[in-house]
Order: sequence, then structure tokens, then C-alpha cells
Amino acid sequence: MGEILGMFQGLASGFGIAFNLTNLTFALIGAVLGTAVGILPGLGPAATISLLLPLSFKIGSPVTSIIMMAGIFYGAMYGGSTTSILVNIPGEAASVVTCIDGYQMALKGRAGPALGIAAIGSFVAGTIGVLGLTFVAPPLAEFALKFGPPEYFSLTLLGLLMATLLGGASILKGLIMVVLGLLLGSVGLDPISGAIRFTWGFYMLQEGIDFVTLAMGMFGIGEILYNLEKELKTELVTQRISHLWPTLKDWADSKWAVIRGSFIGFFIGILPGGGAVISSLVSYAVERKVAKHPEEFGKGAIQGVAGPESANNSAASASFIPLLTLGIPGNAAIAMIFAALLIQGVQPGPFLITEHPDIFWGVVASMYIGNVMLLILNLPLVGMWVQLLRVPYAILAPIIVLFCCVGVYSIRNTVFDIWVMGVFGVIGYLFRKVGLEPGPMILSFVLGPILERSLRQALLISAGSPLIFFQRPISGVLMGFLILFILIKVFMGLRKKPQ
Amino acid sequence: MLAGQEDFRLTLIQWRGYVFLDRIRQGQNRYRKGQEHIEKWDRVTGYILLFIGVTAAWSSTQLSMGKFKHPGPGFLPFGLSVILIFLSFLLILPRKERDTPSAPFWPRQTWMRPFLGLAIFILYAILLGRVGFLITTFIFLLLWLGGIERIRWGTVASISALVTAALYLIFGFFLEVPLPGGILSW
Repeated sequence: MGEILGMFQGLASGFGIAFNLTNLTFALIGAVLGTAVGILPGLGPAATISLLLPLSFKIGSPVTSIIMMAGIFYGAMYGGSTTSILVNIPGEAASVVTCIDGYQMALKGRAGPALGIAAIGSFVAGTIGVLGLTFVAPPLAEFALKFGPPEYFSLTLLGLLMATLLGGASILKGLIMVVLGLLLGSVGLDPISGAIRFTWGFYMLQEGIDFVTLAMGMFGIGEILYNLEKELKTELVTQRISHLWPTLKDWADSKWAVIRGSFIGFFIGILPGGGAVISSLVSYAVERKVAKHPEEFGKGAIQGVAGPESANNSAASASFIPLLTLGIPGNAAIAMIFAALLIQGVQPGPFLITEHPDIFWGVVASMYIGNVMLLILNLPLVGMWVQLLRVPYAILAPIIVLFCCVGVYSIRNTVFDIWVMGVFGVIGYLFRKVGLEPGPMILSFVLGPILERSLRQALLISAGSPLIFFQRPISGVLMGFLILFILIKVFMGLRKKPQ
Repeated sequence: MLAGQEDFRLTLIQWRGYVFLDRIRQGQNRYRKGQEHIEKWDRVTGYILLFIGVTAAWSSTQLSMGKFKHPGPGFLPFGLSVILIFLSFLLILPRKERDTPSAPFWPRQTWMRPFLGLAIFILYAILLGRVGFLITTFIFLLLWLGGIERIRWGTVASISALVTAALYLIFGFFLEVPLPGGILSW
């Protein structure tokens, strides 16, 4: 009982922090930026947050900058649906399935209700996700205090594996990126013995590869170079959007889809390696399964918009849980926020809530406010956002490059870092060309030090026996899941072969 | 309008999310079935990764590996390198499916625009410290918008001036980044 009271007290103090004028302003900036990058194809939330990493110091206190970055992340989930529905182009990867039925609705002249239900569903689900975050995170953090090195190792390994297994693209290539990221992360000083690794005589490499430079190169420059190959043309929809408010029938059809989507999103978002993209796919599949008229799917079923759009929002909120309680980011965008916390000198993990209650509760409270802001931004003002599509990608691309250059320059005031970022940019471009997604690599780069430290400490504890990962109960359960997932994947692979 | 939409599909078909969508629609989601088809470039990638793996493995052996009881700094990197070597073999070795005829790495001069972009980026990095932020940024935008995107020069000049001013305001003024003054500094 006392604990629940503590949560309400925490939340109240969080609202005190979030309603501070600076924090409100940055929450709004985050929501606006998030909606914008959600709408603009070719620029995702992970890339946007990476662009802002070098500025996080200059923005102000850790709370303020994390409030803004969080706003970008969940704001993008709102914006992504708009282009999916109107022009059949997902502005953001988590809105891919929304295209299927959303665009069909628009073709039938029902773009308004589609946009409306997407925004309302997002709001309901986002709020449910934050509620979950409020009440699940503190007990989970307390539970995580029991975690020792073996538990952390198993958890990190599970997270990395899930991220590749669920990540969509080729599993083999995902695993390669994870291993490459871990290797890159081991450049520089060894965290335990202080030995210098993989510097090949370059003095600059002793501190290790800078995360911000790597992320901006891979996500910013790499993405731009890749997109330059195709001349992206944006075409404006001339269709008038009317009747944003869904009809009573729409409500009746979609309310359970929203609720289901919210819970699916929450439970997938909380998983290590889970995230908004997968949750929207799962929600779509579930909606089609439970629908009374599954034949309507693909022809403009409102549930096919309501479910996935709700799921990706509550997943976005839920994916803050592993970050803020365990210190284990589950996807690339959250990995950027993880890095932002580290840059500000805040160690994410089970001690975060007790050591920095202002950050935890401030960010959580701001997410309630941010969802309200986003609902207003996306429902009555949706017409304004559609105009944003008028800004051609052609003009946006060089501005993003300039942002990267100045941003990376501002960290240490040296042009050298721009060169390093350029090299990573070219590598990122070539990676994309051969189908290697940089997302898992960024994640494993961030998790590398945690993985290595916990592995070596665990082996020290057990005097060299890897059985320690299976004998301790929590770690054993995690390892059990890990093996189970691999077995399922292998089994599914075998079953497909005979055809 | 319809023709325009078709154009959209074709231009964006390579875009990450869109590839995925297209496959869901066709009901033959290759990725999900785990039958990634090996292209020539996958094999080339495999060889490069093999090289990286071997180099990293060799480099790790130069560090102290330690024992299982007391793992040293080379312990995990060596293990990772071995895994990387194994994974790169999976990319190199041909599988049951015959190789699909491989597309050229840059079909139909698509290398032009990224290379131009890269060249302008390099020029920016060279000039920034010497000529200063304002002039270099302006030139960067002129070259990019005029050279790559082929927008009319009048429009280009005004956009470039506007964006340069905005960036200077954001970074130099509000965020107080000491941007290189170059030849304009006094």
C-alpha cells in the first residue's frame, strides 16, 4: 500500500517538474518534431534523436532533454499514420501496416475517420502505455536490484537476440550487425583491466569510438546518401479531409481493436528487443484473426488502422520500461536516449528511480502531457501537417547533413569529428546497399560494455563455469527463454524446408 | 493522378518500410520465411566480413585472453571474432537455392547522386575550418541544391541564404556553439 502511495507522490512531484515552463516548452518541441519526422518519409525517430544528441548538453538539464527526446519518439508514432493513410507511404516504420487499410479508407473518401481513429487510438494507447510505465516500472526496478552479473548477461543477450529475431529483416544479417556492433564497442580501453584494444596505433581511438559520431554517421549521413540514389518525389494529396470525428459505428467497430492494440503494444514494448514496429504487425494480424468480417481487411477495415496505430503507441511508451528500470534499451531509438542519459552523466538502471527520481517521474509525467499535446496537434491540426509534405526531401536532405556536421563539430569543436562521421556515413550507406540494417548494430554497440562486464564478472564469480547462467533462478529463466526462442526459430525453419 | 501514384510505388519500392509492406501484400513475406536469397553482393559482403573477423581474431590474440576462470581483455573480442567468421561463412557458402541473377551494385547511374553528395560533404569538411561557417555552409547548400537537385539557381540562392542564417541563429546564437569564423572573423 505504501508503495502505491509512493508512486502517486512520485507522479505528483513529476507533474510539478513537467509543468515547469521550460519542460513544457521542450515537451511541445519534442511533440512537434516527432510528428514532423513521423510524417516525413526518409527520416525516422532514431535518426532525429541522434541528430539532437550533441545538443542535449546545451539544451539544459537531463530531465529537459530526455523529455524532448521521448516526445520525438512517441510523437513519431502519431505522425507516421498520417502519410500512411493519405498517400500510402509510411512516414515511419511502425506505421507500415497502417497503409494497408488506412489508404483504402482514404480511397473510399473516409480519410477523415481513419486519421481520427488513428489519433484517438494513439492517444488512448499512449496513455495506457504511460499508466503501465508508471505502475510497472518502480516494482520492476526494485526487482532488478536482485540482478547480479549473470542476470545482466542473460538479459542483455536475450535482448540482442530478440532484437535480431523480431527485427524483420534477415536474421543472419541482423546477427552479423550485432556482432559487428559488439566488436566496435570493444575498441578502446578495456572496462575491467584498462588494457588498450584494437586501436592500431591511433591515439584518438583510445577513448573508444564515440557513440554520437557513430550514430549520426550511420543514421544521418548514411541514410541521406542511401536516399539520394532515388529521387524522392512527394506528391500532394488534393483530397479534402472532412469528418475527422469517427461515426458511432466506427467507434463500435474499433473500440476493442484500440484496447487490444494497447495491451499487445504494451507487452511487446516491454520485452527486451521488442518495439513499436513489431507490435503494430502483431496487432494487425490479431485484428484480422478476431474480426467478424476478415474479408474486409485490405479493403478499408477501420480495425486495421485502429489496432496497429494503438499498438505502436503503447509499445513506444512501454519500451521506456526496460530502459529506465534495467538500463537495457530495446531498440535503436531507445538506445539513443540511453546514450543521451549517459552523456548527461546519468546511469540508466535499477537505481535510476531512487537516485534520480526527478528524471524518472519528470519524464513519465511529461509523457501524459505530451500525449494530450499530440492529440491536439494531430486531430484538429492535421491539415497543417499535410502541408509539411510540400517541403521536398530534396531541400531537407542537405539541411540534415548540415545539422549532422555542425552537431558533431559542436561536441569537441573539431573538424576531425566531421571526417570520422563521414567515414561512418559511407560505411552506413554501403551497409544499407547490401541489406545490413544499422539498427541492431547501434543497439549492440551500446549494450557491448554491459554485456562484456557482466560476462567477465559472472565467470569470475563462478570460477570459470558457464553453468552459472543456468543455475541462478532468474538468469536460468532468461536463458530458458533464449533457448526456447532459438528452438522455435530453428523448428519453424525446418518445417518450411521440405516444401 | 493515378500515373503519379504508380511512379511513387516505383521510386519508393526500395525504401525500408515499403519493401516490407509490399511483401505483406503479396503474401509471400520472404524474410519471415527465412529464405533469404543469396545475391552476389551478399557473397562479397561475406568475404569482407571474413577479413574483418580474421583481423579482429588475430588482433585479439595479441591481447591477453585470460582463462575461463579469469577472462582477460581479449576474451570476448576473440569469441566475437570467431562468431563473425562463422556468420560470414554462412553468407559466402552457397545454399540450396540457385543464385538469383544479381543486380548491378549501382543500376543505371544511381551512383551519381550519392557520390556528388559525398564530394560536397568532403568539400564542406575541408573548407569549414579554413573559410568559416557562414560562407562554407552557403556554398554547400548552393552546390547541393543546384548541383544534385537541379533546382533553379534563383530559388537555390534564396533558400541557401535563408537556411544558412537559420542554422547560424540556432547553433551560433542560441546554442552558443563556437562556429569557425574563418575569413570573416575579426
